[in-house]
Amino acid sequence: MPANMKTVMKNSLVTVIILGVVTVFCFVLQHVNGSDTHAALLFVLAVHFISRLTDGYVYGIAASMIAVAGVNYVFTFPYFEFNFSITGYPLMFVTMLAVACSVSALTTQIKKQEHLRLEAETEKMRGNLLRAVSHDIRTPLTSIMGSASGLIDNFDVLPDNQKLELLKDIREEAQWLIQIVENLLSITRISSHAAAKIDKQEELAEEIISEAVLKFRKRFPGIEVMVSVPDEVVMVPMDGILIEQVLVNLMENSVLHGKSTTKITVRAWVEDDKIFFCVEDDGEGIRKDVLPIMFDGRLLPEKGDGSDSKRNMGIGLSVCMSIVRAHEGNMSAENITSQGARVRFWLPLKKGEGHGD
Amino acid sequence: MEIRDRILVVEDDRRICNFFRNVLEANHYEVILAHTGTEAFSMVTSRCPDLMLLDLGLPDMDGMRILKGVREWSMMPVIVVSARTHEKDKVEALDMGADDYITKPFGTSELLARIRTAIRHTRTGLIGQDGTQTGVFVSGGLTIDYDKHRVFVDGKDAGLTQNEYKIVSLLGKYAGKVMTYDAIIREIWGPNMKNDNRILRVNMANIRRKLEQNPAEPQYIFTEIGVGYRMAEAD
Repeated sequence: MPANMKTVMKNSLVTVIILGVVTVFCFVLQHVNGSDTHAALLFVLAVHFISRLTDGYVYGIAASMIAVAGVNYVFTFPYFEFNFSITGYPLMFVTMLAVACSVSALTTQIKKQEHLRLEAETEKMRGNLLRAVSHDIRTPLTSIMGSASGLIDNFDVLPDNQKLELLKDIREEAQWLIQIVENLLSITRISSHAAAKIDKQEELAEEIISEAVLKFRKRFPGIEVMVSVPDEVVMVPMDGILIEQVLVNLMENSVLHGKSTTKITVRAWVEDDKIFFCVEDDGEGIRKDVLPIMFDGRLLPEKGDGSDSKRNMGIGLSVCMSIVRAHEGNMSAENITSQGARVRFWLPLKKGEGHGD
Repeated sequence: MEIRDRILVVEDDRRICNFFRNVLEANHYEVILAHTGTEAFSMVTSRCPDLMLLDLGLPDMDGMRILKGVREWSMMPVIVVSARTHEKDKVEALDMGADDYITKPFGTSELLARIRTAIRHTRTGLIGQDGTQTGVFVSGGLTIDYDKHRVFVDGKDAGLTQNEYKIVSLLGKYAGKVMTYDAIIREIWGPNMKNDNRILRVNMANIRRKLEQNPAEPQYIFTEIGVGYRMAEAD
């Protein structure tokens, strides 16, 4: 219940502050020009704002009651005395209540719509993801299924080297499936509704990079990887597992989509309270029609350029984007003029905590 | 006659069992299988395995309970095999006394390396149990001289501070095994150190700058993100 307590506290505070401000303002006006006719009007305004800025009806209604009593007691003649016989008093009470109720109803409705819109958006993202995943896993599954049954059915006739090749294919495809599952798991670590979307810990930037590079090298031993990190010790608030996943995805994309990639450079540097990570390759670069939409997680139209078109950018990049966004950072991609692609992202460094001793 | 190390595999999935049995027997281990927690308990007492591979998700009880039960009376090495991917589960298993963990899916070379390390540690652990560590630890260009309290890289003194030396020598003592942040902090700064691993991380960053050529491509001290550190195996 602490979250509940917190909203009650917040709403009460808003109510008290607004009422307080208006009361002070009325006092000042009263002293300056000695009139009290505007007090009721100002309090209606206060009730309006309270209803708008708090959750539910309770605070608006409470505020209107306090306001009616307050105006009667303090700002109408006789001052500092209740007098319920003023003409128009019931009308004023009803007016304030009506304002409170209608504004609260409006506010609640707006919030509900906002919530629905958000939900629809997550639903859409989830749908996109599901489509992309089913699409992406079908090809490797087909290949595993085919290779395995091929092996079983023709076990006696196949020469050893062909058997080995089929087995290697199976392993490679399984590896690809593992990556997809890792990405899906990453998504489950980002909660869509909680205020703190991710569980941030202070991590050393170099440790995250080195682990990502290590994982990558295990899978692609033939690719040369260069790494450079800042000399100073940089602690970054992040979910280390997720950022590692982003780096692994980017490096793998460099190989899988750069096609002719032989060398990857991973760099990190600090600039204006942000840490930048950048993955560069010397491959074919990113297709021009893909560049503007590559982080959307949309399925790309297949362009019959061989088997790789069936493995589109996949879920990898959209997962990267979701992760970086959840860290309140951003991501961009471009082609390097000479050759290859460059993808970079940044994460915020909390001020004063960014540097070690 | 060859004496084979006996490995108890606690795992309920038939295919995974199959895989363990084939790989381990091909690599000269004796394999016994348990499919439930109850079976595992009785086999630990009756067959005295040299190592246990423990899957945490069993049909009849939580694998953590088996780990806890075994640890009450045995120092037998236990490697936790887990499909749970959150680091908290790994840390919990390690704190509960597991020697190491391996996350599904994994390759055979990784599995065999973990098993070798875990078995060796119990063996050497028994010899030097009484006193402090002595001798030297060598892994590639890294040498830890436990007698002189010095660490050398490619023959040159790395110039570690006292705390840095303590951390490196601790990791060297358990080389190949992951040490959780908390375990290291407890060992170096004592049990009253507040639960903040920032000081350890900063120390580690400095150590890496003294030991490794490129701190982002370490050869000696590896990070298990969210869990702890692991020193490369000795030569």
